[in-house]
Amino acid sequence: MSELNVIKKERTSVINPLVTCQPLGAMYAVMGIYRGMPLVHGSQGCSTFVRYGFSRHYREPADIAVTSLHEDAAVFGGRKNLISGLGNLAQRFKPDVMGVVTTCSSEIIGDDVGGFIKTAKQEIIKKMGEEAASKIKIVQINTPSFVEHQYKGYDNAIKAIVDTLAEPKDEENGKLNIVPGIVNPGDIREVKHMLSLMGVEGILLTDTSDPFDSPLRPSVAEKTPYYQKGGTTVAEIQDCANSLGTISLANYASSAPASLEKKYNMPSKVSEAPIGIKNTDSFIRTVKKFTGNDVTEEILDERGIVIDAMADVASRYLFGRTVAIYGDPSITVGMARFITELGMIPKVVCTGAKNDYFIDDLKKVAKESDEDIDALSGQDLRALDVYLKENPVDLLIGHSDGRLMAKDLGIPLYRVGYPVYDRVGYQRRPIIGYNGALNLVDGITNTIIDKYYEPQDWKLQQ
Amino acid sequence: MPFCLLDVDKDIPEREQHVYIKDSKDTNGHCQKCNTTTIPGSMTERGCAFAGVKGVITGAIKDVLQVVHSPVGCSAYGNGTTKRYPTNSTMPDGSTFPVENFNLKHIVGTDLSESDVVFGGMKKLKATIREGAKEYPFVNAIYVYATCTTGLIGDDLDAVCKEMQAELGKDVVAFNAPGFAGPTQSKGHHVGNFTIFEKLVGTKEPLETTDYDINLIGEYNIDGDYWVLEKYFDAMGIRVLSKFTGDACHDELCWMHKAKLSLVRCQRSATYVAKLIEEKYGVPYIKVDFFGPEYCAENLRTVGKFFGKEIEAEAVIKKEMEKIQPEIDFYKSKLQGKKVWISAGGPKSWHLAKPLEEYLGMDVVALSGLFEHEDGYEKMQERAKDGTIIIDDPNTLEMEEVVEKYHPDIVLGGIKEKYFFHKLGVSSVMIHSYENGPYIGFEGFVNLAKDIYTAIYNPAWSLMEFEDEEPGDTNE
Repeated sequence: MSELNVIKKERTSVINPLVTCQPLGAMYAVMGIYRGMPLVHGSQGCSTFVRYGFSRHYREPADIAVTSLHEDAAVFGGRKNLISGLGNLAQRFKPDVMGVVTTCSSEIIGDDVGGFIKTAKQEIIKKMGEEAASKIKIVQINTPSFVEHQYKGYDNAIKAIVDTLAEPKDEENGKLNIVPGIVNPGDIREVKHMLSLMGVEGILLTDTSDPFDSPLRPSVAEKTPYYQKGGTTVAEIQDCANSLGTISLANYASSAPASLEKKYNMPSKVSEAPIGIKNTDSFIRTVKKFTGNDVTEEILDERGIVIDAMADVASRYLFGRTVAIYGDPSITVGMARFITELGMIPKVVCTGAKNDYFIDDLKKVAKESDEDIDALSGQDLRALDVYLKENPVDLLIGHSDGRLMAKDLGIPLYRVGYPVYDRVGYQRRPIIGYNGALNLVDGITNTIIDKYYEPQDWKLQQ
Repeated sequence: MPFCLLDVDKDIPEREQHVYIKDSKDTNGHCQKCNTTTIPGSMTERGCAFAGVKGVITGAIKDVLQVVHSPVGCSAYGNGTTKRYPTNSTMPDGSTFPVENFNLKHIVGTDLSESDVVFGGMKKLKATIREGAKEYPFVNAIYVYATCTTGLIGDDLDAVCKEMQAELGKDVVAFNAPGFAGPTQSKGHHVGNFTIFEKLVGTKEPLETTDYDINLIGEYNIDGDYWVLEKYFDAMGIRVLSKFTGDACHDELCWMHKAKLSLVRCQRSATYVAKLIEEKYGVPYIKVDFFGPEYCAENLRTVGKFFGKEIEAEAVIKKEMEKIQPEIDFYKSKLQGKKVWISAGGPKSWHLAKPLEEYLGMDVVALSGLFEHEDGYEKMQERAKDGTIIIDDPNTLEMEEVVEKYHPDIVLGGIKEKYFFHKLGVSSVMIHSYENGPYIGFEGFVNLAKDIYTAIYNPAWSLMEFEDEEPGDTNE
């Protein structure tokens, strides 16, 4: 039986980080709400860098407001900025939800964000009237950027959204809550597709698929202000208290399911992303368990198509090839497991997050695998770079930040995760579910063919 | 009064002062309000001071290790992963720097956590600088950046850098521009310039000097801009002694005082340093503009005149113009009368207005800046025709209104706005980081013209709406 060899960080510093800060995750979560708007309580860079990143990855607009903290706020606090910021945003954009996202600065200054929000609400009522003001919900999301990473920020945000907005009723709604994690529009659409094949209605907490992949149809677009299509509505989020259960598809996003379970006595399941066959099987079984609905022929056919593709290509192109995977703590584990299902070897898995689930889940993958897996936990891209120089692999799987490293190492990179800015369409093509697995089989195999079936690289096959 | 309160700004009337409509009859010398803080709750396109110094000024240097003193976020965001500042590995002495595009590949951060915020991060900063130096022993200097967090907890970066410089035997320089400093990233440019001038300029001597040495200041080699200009200067027999800072190395900044002339390209981010060098070392500077054939020719002539190389300058201009004229003619035939909105960060809004009108026949209907100051807006106002709207720090709601009222065919702006304009049915080309650059110089202008042409003529725009009737059916 093979083992997991955990390699801990030896440096104090971070070099070429694999994670970023909490506010990014929170902004992502709020953008999955219909007419939901993040208001970042911090310096302009805190919103601008993230907007820049989202725009590069999704090739979509990313409307994120900021309270523009400057020296005066550093000295006197950000009270004025937050209250006027909420007021201006409410009046000018009339959003359904404003998510107040804190940052390093506002946390260090020690702003009483909760108190300021109360005052802001009164101001908004004065300006807009009781009725209009009551339509605008405000969610406070504390995301000190010097604690953990964007995955924690996402978790905090989803919990805050659910805790603030959920409204229990006496009757169950027969729906299933899904916390998708920081994934792509294609992934969320795939989740919805799987649910629909099983006749299940889901409430996505939250649904970034349409907001981050919106049609270009100016004649029907909501204008002045322009809002991207879609997102989970406030009514749906309110209704999530009455669902059959909650499934989180990211092991770092467990707080909202736990909170819902505790408050409303509904079952919850938190797992790594349903990537590959076994993980997707497990997701489907959970859906069946929570809803009582059967696994349909259509789903089994989709599953069968992936198995067919795997049967066709594995031995010729994939078997025995070694892989390094880096990025999101949940997606990397799912990828590692799928890699073993393809007959490949996940030699090393690297994440920037310090996450116990990551190690535990990866241990399970190692047990199923024929060879030992090295885990770089709480590490950075530089650590992986150094590791790979000594222990080269056949294929890299990760996001675009590793592209120059991959080029220097001469190892082909199959792009998965966030951010991917040097390829198009990755955000639309799922990696989740059976259709996601099919994409991965095709994509990984083609990347292998591209590199190792060129004459100059044939020798590498021996 | 030429100021204008847009409809979407009725709840924030102070914005009226930032929006100006050109009226040549109004001769009161009104300048719009600018370089002031953004109204909270706006969807601003502005960045922070840290972005200004690391992202603009120093991020393009090829042989410097960048250390960001912050929680992990700022290091991640400060990572140069775009194609914006490419570098080659050639050093001024002819040697080769071991890593090509080092500036795009590596960034170091102190990864501050909660306890560091409480107890201070200086110890961690020292450890980080040591580790960075060990990891990349070949770098020639280490630059260290303050951020919001370290500015607020009050870490003394200068003291740490001084100590580390003595220990490591190479320049370790602190840049104190925390994100909240100043209303825009422009504050970061300012801090960068003063820091470089005070701590570096005059500390090293070049291997050799010639009578034709220039500093090319405010040229960041976006998408290879510098390599275009270098070619022209080479052909004129003029040597770029120091670049600031595209494809530059650390030492070049240290010997900027030895040039005969400084040219200032980006006049928003870099004039300060040229001015300081002139005051202290007597190196004169001129502001130059190489966007568009005419400005490019005019400024090459000015430089030629300064060095007595008028003939060489004319030769370059003639050769380059002959090369591009047929292409310019083609693009002009396609772009004549198309309405354009130039929404650059700094000076491109006034650099590009005239060339687009004169050489491509385009109609500039709107201009805007994100972190521009009064001098920039004066130039925009001067170069705009009557009725042009000029906006300081436009936010997305205002952008929507300007699109509705001025109907631009294309917006030249940044990536954050690009997809927003697409959703409004307006094409957009990035002029911050460029689409298919370089955009500077003669051939660069052709690249820009081509990108504008391909953006406007993208067949997608004509396919946007579904036609209920088969085209032609109604005529039968």
